[in-house]
Amino acid sequence: MFKKNAIGKTITTIIMTLISVVYISPIFIVLMNSFKLKTSISASPFVLPGAESYVGLENYMRGITFGDYPFYKSVMYSIFITVFSTLAILLFTSMTAWYITRVDNKICRGIYYFCVFSMIVPFQMVMYTLSKTADTLNLSNPVGIIVVYLGFGAGLAVFMFCGFVKSIPLEIEEAANIDGCGPIRTFFGIVLPIMKPTLISVCILETMWIWNDYLLPYLVLDIKNYRTIPIHIQYLNGSYGQSDIGAIMALIVLSIIPIVVFYFTCQKHIIKGIMAGAVKG
Amino acid sequence: MIKKILALTLAILMIIPMFAACGKEDTASVYYLNFKPEQDAQWKALAATYTQKTGIPVTVVTAAEGTYEQTLTSEMDKKEAPTLFQVNGPVGLANWKDYCYDFSGSKVLGELTSNDFTLVEGNKVYGIAYVVETYGIIYNKTLLAKYFASNFATIKSIDKLNNFAALKTVAEEIQANKTALGVDGAFTSAGMDSSSDWRFQTHLANMPIYYEYQAKGIGSTDAIEGKYLDNYRAIWDLYINNATCNPTVLASKTGTDAETEFKTEKAVFYQNGTWAYGSVKKDDSGIGLEDSEFGMLPIYIGADGEENQGLCTGSENFWCVNSKASEADIQATLDFLYWVVTSEEGTSSLANDMGFVVPFKSAKAASNPLVTIANEYIAEGKTSVSWNFSSIPSEKWKKGLGTALTQYAAGTGTWDSVGSAFVDGWKTEYAAANQ
Amino acid sequence: MNKRQLKFYFPIFVLPTFAAFCIGFIYPFLHGVYLSFCKFKTTSDATWVGIQNYIDAFQDPSFLHAFAFTAVFTVVSVVLINVLAFTVAHVLTGGIKGANAFRTVFFMPNLIGGVILGYIWQLIFNGILQNWSTNIKLNSTFGFWGLIILLCWQQIGYMMIIYISGLNSIPESLYEAAKVDGATKWQTLRKVTLPMMMPSITICTFLSLTNSFKLFDQNLALTAGEPGLQVGGETIYQTEMLALNIYNTFYQNANTRGVGQAKAVVFFLLVAVIGLAQLYFTRKREVQQ
Repeated sequence: MFKKNAIGKTITTIIMTLISVVYISPIFIVLMNSFKLKTSISASPFVLPGAESYVGLENYMRGITFGDYPFYKSVMYSIFITVFSTLAILLFTSMTAWYITRVDNKICRGIYYFCVFSMIVPFQMVMYTLSKTADTLNLSNPVGIIVVYLGFGAGLAVFMFCGFVKSIPLEIEEAANIDGCGPIRTFFGIVLPIMKPTLISVCILETMWIWNDYLLPYLVLDIKNYRTIPIHIQYLNGSYGQSDIGAIMALIVLSIIPIVVFYFTCQKHIIKGIMAGAVKG
Repeated sequence: MIKKILALTLAILMIIPMFAACGKEDTASVYYLNFKPEQDAQWKALAATYTQKTGIPVTVVTAAEGTYEQTLTSEMDKKEAPTLFQVNGPVGLANWKDYCYDFSGSKVLGELTSNDFTLVEGNKVYGIAYVVETYGIIYNKTLLAKYFASNFATIKSIDKLNNFAALKTVAEEIQANKTALGVDGAFTSAGMDSSSDWRFQTHLANMPIYYEYQAKGIGSTDAIEGKYLDNYRAIWDLYINNATCNPTVLASKTGTDAETEFKTEKAVFYQNGTWAYGSVKKDDSGIGLEDSEFGMLPIYIGADGEENQGLCTGSENFWCVNSKASEADIQATLDFLYWVVTSEEGTSSLANDMGFVVPFKSAKAASNPLVTIANEYIAEGKTSVSWNFSSIPSEKWKKGLGTALTQYAAGTGTWDSVGSAFVDGWKTEYAAANQ
Repeated sequence: MNKRQLKFYFPIFVLPTFAAFCIGFIYPFLHGVYLSFCKFKTTSDATWVGIQNYIDAFQDPSFLHAFAFTAVFTVVSVVLINVLAFTVAHVLTGGIKGANAFRTVFFMPNLIGGVILGYIWQLIFNGILQNWSTNIKLNSTFGFWGLIILLCWQQIGYMMIIYISGLNSIPESLYEAAKVDGATKWQTLRKVTLPMMMPSITICTFLSLTNSFKLFDQNLALTAGEPGLQVGGETIYQTEMLALNIYNTFYQNANTRGVGQAKAVVFFLLVAVIGLAQLYFTRKREVQQ
């Protein structure tokens, strides 16, 4: 579009730069406010910390101990749940997807359609009964919730993997079979490596979903013992008898950091993953 | 194919209950779903002490402000449901009666000083009030004395400050001369954030409800008339127009904001109760009020004969034991309660750490100046205002009133909608709750 | 691999997922449908009441209001998100300097969760609005546009990525042919780019459609449904969307849980219609290709 016109291009670049600065500014506003005295945050959120309002890391120190639940624990649970739920989803659904695509009998097709169906069911439909089931089965802990995530997240993952498995030529697997590989060795030795691009896409999508999910863990996890970061922040804001906006700003910054680090380390994969996910979805 | 899937599904569904059966431990334990965030840390400490002494695990969970009913609803449905929970009075009891254990014959019931502190239906005792609280308009004695001594003061002593007109005069004169007095306003901000809105949509709303009940000689109603709505408006106007902030910003003001304003002596008046003492008293860094600086006024709304009105005293905290819990858990819970109200650790925690006045025989006197003030009012023969918000039909009513008050304060809503929330909302919610 | 051999591996390959799927989806779903016909406080005391819950749900003015609000919100946000995302993608694929850096910036907000997003924007909106002595929770117009801005901020980056991949896959030869025919920039966009982009546009439209329609966390954290308006004894929360309305019906009052579950079934049916439409259009697109 703008290939010919160098001036036009420069102008576009400048405009885009301005827009980008505005676009990213909310994150910086929060970062800036996390270093300010709590009384001057809501009064003047857009003012840089001055000599009077600068408090250094005080908000952070207060934030990590604020409320009735230690922040580090919710970080730990968030990381644990996200990592292991994602791994479980990747492992089990890729196996299932390969199997049901290859066997392709009535049962398998039935499961496939159930999975597609589950993708359109909103969480509110099952929120109560799911939390009730999880409680009955003793799944209301960070290990048990992995099963819940595997079940509720299976639909999308199976769907995406099936789409990919269909495109893998059968000959490769048949050759392996002739060489004497059983299904397990065939799957882990041959199919899984081929599936890497889709594994990455699914991994990205599920990680982002689970890390940021609020309502499912809030309803499923046992409130006596476990909280994830979103639950912790929602709980602290305005609700706990006293609300400390300085501490909340600090906690927001702390909870954004891991995901930003994750983004910058695997940006290429994330972008690819979303593109792949979109084409399939 | 459908048959096979169904068979498989059924098989798995049948395995589910087997999982369920094997998880539950048999040791007795107590799970207390606490209503009062102010005392969360103290309850947890007390629970830990008990566990250390007896080996019985006691878990304390406090629901976030404004979400108790919601948390209780979802927790009661769980396998490890609270064994000890709270209801706020007859209306709350109506919701949870099927889950309330009959206290009759229990040791903890025998410790009560009077049967007035029970929730009884028929011959069954479903709830025990464990704390008697008092609220009113807390004031800073030093600042108010400064006002009395000033040349712009019309009212010169606390004895004259005994009705709404006088309160209005004082508040408006303080507001007009706030710089001279070194404050930001007469009242602390009447924040309508969920951490603070209950002070107005429940505690302040009790005043018009109380006077209407008094006039009619009733204790609950299916349709409130709103006879004292004008008085409610008068006191609300006074609060919002003579405060540390503009009424339009109240929507986002929090409980902490008001607390900080009072603690840092930027406001003279602060509507709250005995439970607030701990959060505004002088702390380790030297900020806050000395015990001798606390005063408390009745909430005057301009009703007839209010010169003799006392503070608002009552309870909306009734302990209930979950009747659907296992027998061992029920027993453990009753033992825990008995220990709390009789043991040295329990009684001193209730009195000193939590600052509660409790209606139990071995209770210790609370070291809370606000409690002392409350007792003085009773000794003087003033008529205490009862807590009638236990007859409010639902939490939704309070929320609806709160949002109407917020918008009235901000100028985006009219007083009519406050009236509608108060009167029509009551009717709707009463009907919904008593289908 | 012969199928007979594979058959014995069913328990290894499918059973774990299928068991979890039963626990995490099938059983809760069926149970939910059943409960929507019951009156219950807890599952153990459910009694069958037929379609009474559905009647109550449709007579609840707050539910109808939430539906209307959600519908308007969805239309506005879908249009804005897609137009803006497409524009940004178009500019970024035009060969400007630092396109990758811009892409990174625009995508970043997508990584932040709904609850946290809500609090970030609450700070910003209230910071701006307090200059006029008002607040996001006081005015439903502010609430509406606040939610729109928030959602755009979160979703534009994601849709942009999809549009960029779509734009990159359009063969250069088509543009050259258009240039040879003397097409203007505008004509090229309308006659070449847009038709070739239809698959991406369909995907993005449906993704943003379901995202807006199912919005919950952001709604809860930014406005929580405020402000409320008094309508004949009922308080109608002006910015309460469907998901939040269902949640509130369910958890704020133990007496109306059955109605909440019935509302959830209606909500599911609405989403299912959108989902089926998506399937239909996607399939049509595949046929065309």
